[in-house]
Amino acid sequence: MRFIIRDNAEAASAHVANYIVDRINHFAPTPAHPFVLGLPTGSSPLGVYKSLVEKYKAGEVSFENVVTFNMDEYIGIPRDHPESYHSFMWKHFFSHVNIHPSNVHILDGNAPNLEAECVQYEAKIQAAGGIDLFLAGMGEDGHIAFNEPGSSLASRTRVKTLAYGTILANSRFFNDDLHKVPKMALTVGVQTVLEAREVVVLAIGARKAIALQRCIEQGVNHMWTLSAVQLHPHSMIVCDEDATLELQVKTVRYFKDIEKAAQAQGFEHILPSKVRTGPATVPTTIVTDEFPASTIHCPQPTTSRLLRATPATEYPVRSRSPSPDLSAPRLQHHLRPDNSVETEYTDGTAAEYTTAAVFSSRSTTPDLIPDRMASRIGDPSLLVRSTPNPERQRSRSPALASSMPMVNGIKA
Amino acid sequence: MPSVIRSASPRHTGITKFTNCRLVRGDELVWDDVWVSSATGKILRSQSAFYDELIMPDEVVDLGGRIVSPGFIECQLNGAYGFNFSTIADDMAQYGKQLRDLNRKLAQTGVTSYVPTVTSQTSELYKRVLPYLGPSGASRCAQEGAESLGAHVEGPFLNPARNGVHNPSALRVASSLSDLEDMYGATNITPSPSSFHRQKPSQEESEGEDDESSLPSPDQQHGNNDTIPIKMITVAPELGSMTSLIPALVSRGVIVSIGHSEATYEQASAAVAAGATMITHLFNAMRPLHHRDPGIFGVLGAPDRSSDYSTSPAHESPSPSRPAGPRPYFGLIADGIHLHPATVKIAWHAHPAGLVLVTDAMHMVGLPDGRYPWTNGEGEHFIVKRGNVLELEGTGGVIAGSSITLVDCVSNFLNYTGATIPEALRAVTATPAAMLGVQRVKGCLDAGADADLVVLSERSEDGGKRELVVDEVWKFGIKIFERGSDKIV
Repeated sequence: MRFIIRDNAEAASAHVANYIVDRINHFAPTPAHPFVLGLPTGSSPLGVYKSLVEKYKAGEVSFENVVTFNMDEYIGIPRDHPESYHSFMWKHFFSHVNIHPSNVHILDGNAPNLEAECVQYEAKIQAAGGIDLFLAGMGEDGHIAFNEPGSSLASRTRVKTLAYGTILANSRFFNDDLHKVPKMALTVGVQTVLEAREVVVLAIGARKAIALQRCIEQGVNHMWTLSAVQLHPHSMIVCDEDATLELQVKTVRYFKDIEKAAQAQGFEHILPSKVRTGPATVPTTIVTDEFPASTIHCPQPTTSRLLRATPATEYPVRSRSPSPDLSAPRLQHHLRPDNSVETEYTDGTAAEYTTAAVFSSRSTTPDLIPDRMASRIGDPSLLVRSTPNPERQRSRSPALASSMPMVNGIKA
Repeated sequence: MPSVIRSASPRHTGITKFTNCRLVRGDELVWDDVWVSSATGKILRSQSAFYDELIMPDEVVDLGGRIVSPGFIECQLNGAYGFNFSTIADDMAQYGKQLRDLNRKLAQTGVTSYVPTVTSQTSELYKRVLPYLGPSGASRCAQEGAESLGAHVEGPFLNPARNGVHNPSALRVASSLSDLEDMYGATNITPSPSSFHRQKPSQEESEGEDDESSLPSPDQQHGNNDTIPIKMITVAPELGSMTSLIPALVSRGVIVSIGHSEATYEQASAAVAAGATMITHLFNAMRPLHHRDPGIFGVLGAPDRSSDYSTSPAHESPSPSRPAGPRPYFGLIADGIHLHPATVKIAWHAHPAGLVLVTDAMHMVGLPDGRYPWTNGEGEHFIVKRGNVLELEGTGGVIAGSSITLVDCVSNFLNYTGATIPEALRAVTATPAAMLGVQRVKGCLDAGADADLVVLSERSEDGGKRELVVDEVWKFGIKIFERGSDKIV
């Protein structure tokens, strides 16, 4: 992990904005090979957006070939509500830069099927080739996106109930009326963030100091979900001096020293070239029945086996909600020209549906067994039953069995 | 001024985005972007356009910090560029041609919609010219320039004691509605029976809801065949049975304005209670304020039953039994000649939300100084134009209207009152739009309103004198004027 400390909030935000601009420009995105950026909302990243807009207007960066995925969105408020994250992103970022609307992805909190929306969202991230850089803020309780304390560190995009503290904190945006604050949200999971090729976290202000201390100096813990970035191979936390209040002097000095030393040597932290430039072509994701799809294409994840991705396809099977391909037309719209990923994904789901259907029919209908009382009746034709065990039938009265070629679709 | 234009989208959407500009929003200048569509001629809800339609602007116009105001609305204009609305040409086709010419030129001064005014004239003239002066925005054609919101008949039911330059022999007294129909022509003031009856129930239905919903829809406002040419009428309510006729006029969608009148405070209050919502060029052609009889101006000092127009209860139907409604709007000629600057300031402070700046300009506006023939229907007169001053020759200085442009009125107003720029612009945008009942589509920069915009530069001289200059004019989302370039786009 890189840990960058700047004197104040402006300098920290500027560092992040500069970093993103450098990454995009080095990446040299093209329509076929876009830079995929994960974006947060909230008060921390405001300075970053402001800075990015300024740099765009100064001609230092173009967002023409940048694809964005937002972390989260409320459920149950209109999309154009002033406090929705759609409005936030529009107001602070999208309206000021040249990003194309079809490259923008934000979870739809008003989707008819929220689970399907989450599954689709993961699929869209995969289809875009995975996220190159996920920018994140940090909550006072160490949450990343809406992954509040206690969220699974292997979680994926899903519906999340907000903690009372978060509702209370957010009520200031809703006329201090707790009833108006959405109680639920859609959010990417911790695992979704960890699968990005790079994670950059911005922590600003003294209020974040305790959370920062837990996430940096202590172990990976689901009560401070952001601590999971310790497992990420390329993560960077940027903070201001105020946010370091709870850290040990030793920790602060260590990270400052290595940054200074690196600068003195003219050695900036450089990502592996594959991470810097991303995959040359959009990889094909293969979904199999046996193993969850790996969405990390390069580098290979170093997370433990236990932290492996939960299969994104688990929802429709478990809950038997309508297949996500119901809204496929809209999904297709957002995909890259070759929608091979989508096709395979849909097929895989369909296959699992079939399997589930077979299982359920077996479990509800008990196996047919020969009726023993029938043997007391003289008429031999009564011995023939619709049965899934034709072998036994044959052994009892082979002549009769051969005269009935099909029983229940099974050739005798 | 920088005007960076870059193509952001390969798809042609007809959308222009103005950025790096200050928008007039209420009483504030707000740094924000505004998106307009030349396809619909309206201001876009940009966030919806982005997320729903997935569209981006064709061009981005960087205004370098200049001010974007809604297009100006002129409520009293007698003519311009040598064309007088109150004249009959032998060939009325010529009248229409001159009118179209005027519309295009007028738009270059920032006036994107206006109320052409016809002074006290003969019945024949009204019947001939009014059909030409009705609402003209239905075609939504930017190249036509300024759009008429309907005609203003300033007379002839005026008080001869306050005739101004109106011909006293043309003035009449009305005792019934048929007097008005005879004067203007029934079709000009009464909607055709079918449409009248069709509109009526919808108005009743909407009563009890919020009063905004009872406003006519934009379709009704934009001159489909049902609308009548007359939008506004100036009357002296103390004459004949005019006060009792006001409710009938209001129910036809006509704005009743008090002016050229000897009305006392009580008479003016009764007219307001009956439904009059406007005062024509306050202070001019009416009794001056007397401290024991405040006259028409005194109405602005009346206590407001409802403090705000928008919150006025909708169940109050315009009927004579209605209690005194909100204070009326009032027009002010801030040309520095008709009114003393201090008078302008007093009137503004008396009722800031009701102030409508008007020019009352004659057809000499836009022409060089000189001696111009003019007739009020009786004999040949001459008006001498010297700068912005117009005097009727041989009368020893009777002011014969003005020849000022509306943007200069705004600049004067800024200097007279020390108002902020949005406060001053409000008097030529949002307030007149509300007075005319078109506040949803005109006079604002809200999404859904017509994309009539004026780009203004702000200048201030060493003496602290402030001035606004019209740099660009956009009508229905298309640029129709740019200062410094002769051609109209």
